[in-house]
Parts: sequence; structure tokens; C-alpha cells
Amino acid sequence: MDRGLPESRGGTMNGSPTTPQPPRAGRRRLPAAALTLALAVMGTMRAPMAQGGLPPMPEWIDVAGATLAMGAGTDPEAYDNERWPSATGTGPVPVAGFLLARTETTVAQFGAFAVATGWRSEPRALAEAPDLPVTFVSWTDAVAYTRWLERALRSTPSAPAVVRDRLAAGWHVRLPTEAQWELAARATDGRRYPWGNEARPDRATYNTTGPTPVGQHPCPECVLPLADMSGNVWEWTSSPYQPYPFTAADDRTGLEADALWVMRGGHFGDPPRLLRATARGAAEPGARRAFIGFRVALVPPAR
Amino acid sequence: MLWPLGATAGLLALGWLPRVQQSPQVAWAVWGAAVGLLAWQVLLALRFRSGGMPGLTFTTPRAQHYIQACCQLSIYAYWGQFWPPVYQYFPLLLAQMLFAYAFGMLLSWTRKQPYQMGLGPVPIILSTNLFMWFKDEYYPLQFVLIAVGVLGKVFVQWERDGRRVHIFNPSAFTLALFSLILITTGQTSMTWAQEIAPTIGLGPHTYKVMFAVGLVAMYNFSTTPVSATAAATLFIGSGLVMAIAGVPYFVDSDIPAAVFLGLHLLVTDPSTSPRTTVGRVIFGMGYGVSVFALYAILGALGAPTFYDKLLCVPILNLLVPTIDRLVTRLGDRPLFDRLGFSGPLGRANLPHMAVWVLFFGAMTMRGVTDGMHPGDALPFWQQACEAGKPKACDRMLNIEANYCRDNAGWACNELGRHFTEGRLVSADAERAFGYFSRACEARYQPGCLNMISEPTDAVVATAPRPFDLRLLLREGGPNLLEMNEPDLYARACRHGWTEACPKAAAAR
Repeated sequence: MDRGLPESRGGTMNGSPTTPQPPRAGRRRLPAAALTLALAVMGTMRAPMAQGGLPPMPEWIDVAGATLAMGAGTDPEAYDNERWPSATGTGPVPVAGFLLARTETTVAQFGAFAVATGWRSEPRALAEAPDLPVTFVSWTDAVAYTRWLERALRSTPSAPAVVRDRLAAGWHVRLPTEAQWELAARATDGRRYPWGNEARPDRATYNTTGPTPVGQHPCPECVLPLADMSGNVWEWTSSPYQPYPFTAADDRTGLEADALWVMRGGHFGDPPRLLRATARGAAEPGARRAFIGFRVALVPPAR
Repeated sequence: MLWPLGATAGLLALGWLPRVQQSPQVAWAVWGAAVGLLAWQVLLALRFRSGGMPGLTFTTPRAQHYIQACCQLSIYAYWGQFWPPVYQYFPLLLAQMLFAYAFGMLLSWTRKQPYQMGLGPVPIILSTNLFMWFKDEYYPLQFVLIAVGVLGKVFVQWERDGRRVHIFNPSAFTLALFSLILITTGQTSMTWAQEIAPTIGLGPHTYKVMFAVGLVAMYNFSTTPVSATAAATLFIGSGLVMAIAGVPYFVDSDIPAAVFLGLHLLVTDPSTSPRTTVGRVIFGMGYGVSVFALYAILGALGAPTFYDKLLCVPILNLLVPTIDRLVTRLGDRPLFDRLGFSGPLGRANLPHMAVWVLFFGAMTMRGVTDGMHPGDALPFWQQACEAGKPKACDRMLNIEANYCRDNAGWACNELGRHFTEGRLVSADAERAFGYFSRACEARYQPGCLNMISEPTDAVVATAPRPFDLRLLLREGGPNLLEMNEPDLYARACRHGWTEACPKAAAAR
């Protein structure tokens, strides 16, 4: 009984390259040099990712605070878990303003984190093209990424002023809650998809066999210039899966049940019904799948 | 020359078995050993091409070989029932035996001596492998281990009772030598020794099985004074520590299962034991005291304590002439006579066995063999830690670490809590985050919440879930995935998980 403390789950989170953790048994890590080279090449491809020598950073979109009528209401395509237990099938949820990444987190962005921290991610997460959304990432991988990104932004003088100011005011990089995600995806006018009420193959990646590079679909009809809110990959949120009504504090209930976390947006292989902005998916936090990714948010302090 | 050639061919053939092919390193180790033996045979054939090759003499199978082998195989059979890798390992045992026979023959012939064909290598191989397996990637060293054992038996000898005999118990010699090398070079992770030791205790009646098997050896070879005295020393020592310090010495047993196995099947080689009953009692006590001391010394040095049972045997073997001389100097004493220790070896073996049976029965009734041991219960260690009992906090952390490794999310979350609070270990936010992450991936929701909480937030925790309890309550045995919830809660209540008691009562 005295085999010593096991290593904790990941590598260091402070980005120190001198204290990597050994790789998980049976899993292969992409050699750091190869990944660095890939990132360097990619940096020439995507201008926003290499500002001032920074690792590839998200491009932030301001989402104004509002009271969201959350839930699918009377939408006949909705699943039961999208309807609030109210006459309208929706419920008011006040959401403070926040920043949301324009795109899903890419392989390049996640790779920079993996290299900097030695976080032991699934090798397949880093095996795809750098501008594809990162997949094969668990909820825990996504949270670890947000933690690292916040530190990277705080320690980088050349980070955008809007980001610096908000971090200084106590904001944090997080996964969006599902209310934040839903507000960003459909605004307050009750639309079914970010662009309107009808499914459009030119606006999202769905009914196909694999993801597309992030930000490929123009969306002039969208309220916010966010890319791929519907389709491409499911996006982890920071909300545990609970039946509606949603409250910001509902994460402290049902702690004895096995963990499930909400994903939003549907994925490349889904039919349009699952791409609706109110559709709710859920997965266990250790799930690493080819169709699950995430995007990050910069959110005000909870209290 | 046909015999070693046949053994070599057998070794080559074994290289194609699925278990061997499962790992290229093992396959190449087996084939490499075969090629080495073949080359040696070629050299010998050239050396003796004009004749004069020493041959083989067949010896009558000796009881101390075949009975011991049967005892060891019984242990393997029971062990494998509860830990299948043991059965899968059998081809590798066979490979080592073929190697040992061929190696022994070629060594004898190189020394121009006939080889005495008997069952001698069988118990040596079986005994060695009860304690140490090299990992697949280092498997060539398993053959080196066997070769060193054979060489030790042949070359490390002394005069005893007018005969040249080997000094060291062959399997214990190699095990101790390799243990020492692995510990001093920090390479203990090259073997599965530390990992397989707890698996010996997976069966629900392991101690009783070992006890029963031990009785066979005691009856046939009068090893009762060695085994029973060693066991009694350890039981009494553990009991004293528990009474004085309030915590078990060996964490979750009074004698670890692998030590109990060792004192029955590792230190009982008659050739390397004292020749009198009193001497064997001293020898057995010496083993018990040595294991006790080495456990503390290795622990203090930060070395794996598993090796406590292996390191001391050669030293005790070296002390055998001293013990024999001491006994001679003591002479016949009335007390020895009353205890049945005087006269020829084995004179009072059956009464001694009867005393051992009663003693073991008493220990079993006390609950310090099979079944739940006080140290199996994590709440016991939590309370001992809170009460400031010696080493209790370290042991609690180690136990939680083991359960975390087994994927008990609750245990990982507790480790994260310790590294957040910095009370039992130095605060380390990164390690805490890592443990919370492991807890979360084990679907323990508080672990997930702790990953995303603010540094000023209190750590979230709950009582262990049923899934966690199925691991936490296993008492050194297999997990309890099949156990129904009422039984699980009743067991949790017995372990001191107070939250489970109302649930257990409600389920009735």
C-alpha cells in the first residue's frame, strides 16, 4: 500500500518547459520540436495567431449583456430537455456581458498549450491540420486550456487592451456557460439558428463526414460575427447537465450523480435538428471524441 | 548433448506462443537465450569432439523438490484464480525452467562434471517467480536472474557437516542480490515485484491457503520452527506496535501476504537452514525481526518496502554456522526438552504444528489474516491522522493515492483537497488541479467543480459515491463491482463511513 503518490493528471500549468510530466502509459506525445515547427508554419498562415510573438490567441467578440429567453419554447423540432417547465417553454436568464472567442479553439491553439505545459492530451487532438477545430479533447482538457490561456494573457504585455483591462478587473478565461453560449448563438430574438430559422449548408458544417477549418462560413445574417456556433464540432460549456430551469448556481446540486457536462452546437455529422441554438448535448467530462471541441470565453467574476 | 539441445529447441518453440509474442522484447529474450545456449553447445561440442563429454546421471526425485514444487504450484493455482496474468505467465515459467536445465547441464559439462538430472531447478524457478517478474521490456534480465541463481548454487559453497553444500538458498540469493542492485540503482520499476505483491492477497482466503500449503512443507520437512516462529514474531510485533502506537505497522495487515508466503516457501530450504530445532527457531525469529526492521529502514530511505522479505535471507543463511555453534554452546537445557526442541530434528514436529495451528487460528479469529483488517478502513487512517498518530497522515495519503490510481474519483479529489489546503502536504495548486482533473475524469462531479472554482472558494467534496466505495472497501481483494448496494453500504458502515450507516439500515 505504499507505492507513493501518483502523478496528478496533467503537466504543469505554469508553462515551464523544465518540469514536464511523463506521458500517460500507452499514449504517444507529439514531439515538441515537430509541433513547434508546425506552429511556426501555421503562424505564417493565420495572421491573428502570431501577434507580437504570442502563441496563437483567440480573436474575441464582445457579447452584450441581456436577459435571454432561454430554452426552445414551442419549437416543434425541440427535444424535451430544451423546454423549460413553463407555459412558454422558455425562461428568463439574465446574462452579463462577456467576450467570446470568434472561432472554436483550433489544433494550433491547443497545441501551443500542450507544448507549453506538457499537458498530456490525447495524441489525436494534435494530429490534425492546425486550422481545424481541436477535437479529442475532454472537458478537463478544455478547462486546463482556459486556465493556461488566462495566465498566458495576463503575462503577455502585448495582449489586446480590451483583454488586459478586463483581466485586470477580475475577469477570467472560462468555457462559456450554456446560457452565455445560447445568448451568443441566437441573441434575444428567438431565432432557431444563428443566421435565422432555416438550416443552411452554406452557413455551417453538418451532415458530412468531418470538420472544416474554423471560420469558413460567412454569416452576414448572424447578430454577432461568431463562426461555427452551429455545426463543425460540439462545444463544451461550463454548465453541468441539469434539467431546466437553468440557474447560475445549479452546479452545486446533484453532486452525487456521475458528472455530465453540457455541449452545444451540434457537430459535422449531425442533422440540422441538433444544430439549433437551443439543442443540448451532454457528455462525461473524460470523453475525448472526434466530434467534440470547445471555444473559450472571457467572463466577469461570478460575484 | 541431446538434452540441452532439446531444451533449447523447446525454448525456441516457446518463442512463438501468444504470450511470448505479445511483447517483442520477451520473444527476443527467449530466442536470445536459446541462441546463447546453442552457441555454448557448439563450443562444448568442439571442445569434446574427440570424446570425453561428461554425461547425465538421473537422480531419484527428492521430496524436498517435488513436494515444494507442488506447494508452490498450489499457490500459483489459487493466485491465478483471482489474478489471471498468473496463468498467462505460465509459458514464461516453462521457458525459464528449460533455460535453467540447459544452463545447468552446460555449466556442469564445462566444468567436466556429469550433470545430475533431477527436479532441483523446478522449485527454484517457481520460488523466484513468486516474488519477482521483470517487466516485458527488461525480460532478458529474468534469464540473467535464473543464471545467477544456478551459478550461485554451484559456486558459492562451503563445508558443512563434512559435505560441500551451497551457502545460500538459491532463489532467495538471486532475489536478494537483484533486489539490492535494483534498490541501489533506483531501478525497482524494472520489475513487477512491487506491483504483483498485493495481487497475491486478492483471493478471499489467501492466508488460509498459504497456511494449509505451509502445513504440507512443515509436515514433510520439519520447517515448523522456522515458519511458525517467523510468523509469530511478526504477529506479536505487529500487535505490540498496534497496542503502543495505535496504528498497524504494516498498514493493512499484521503480516503482508507476500511476507507470509515468504516465510513458508522462501526461507524454508532445509539445506540452508540450521540443523537443530532451536537453531531453526532462532533462524525463524531472525527472519521475523529482519523483515520488521527492513520494512522500517527501507521506508525511511524512501525505497520500496516490498523488498523487506527478500533482502535478509542470504544474511540469515550466512549466520547459519554461527547459529549452529551457538546452539551447541547452549547445550541441552531442560526448557528445550520441555518445549520439544532437543533431540533430533523433527522429534516434536507434530506437537509444534499443533501449536502453530492453534496460534494461526487465534490470529484469524482476531481478524488479522484474511478478511477486514483495521488498516483496510480509510476512516481509521483519517481519524488516526487527525489524532496525530505516527505516520498516519502519510499512510492515509498513500492509501488515497492508491485508490486514486484505481480511478476512485473521491480519492483523487481528496488528494486535490490536501494539495489545496496545504495542511498535510505543501500547498501546490498545480498538483491540486491535476488531482481534481483525475477526479473529474472519474466522473466525480466535485472534482470538476474544483477545477473551475475560484482560488478563494472552499474545496467541494461529498461522501464517496457507490462506485468509489466499490474500490475503497475492497480490503486488499478484488473490487466490489458486483456487490449489491445494501451489502455495500453495510460494509461501508463497518469500515467507519458513517454516512453509509443510515443507508445500510434503510436498505434492510
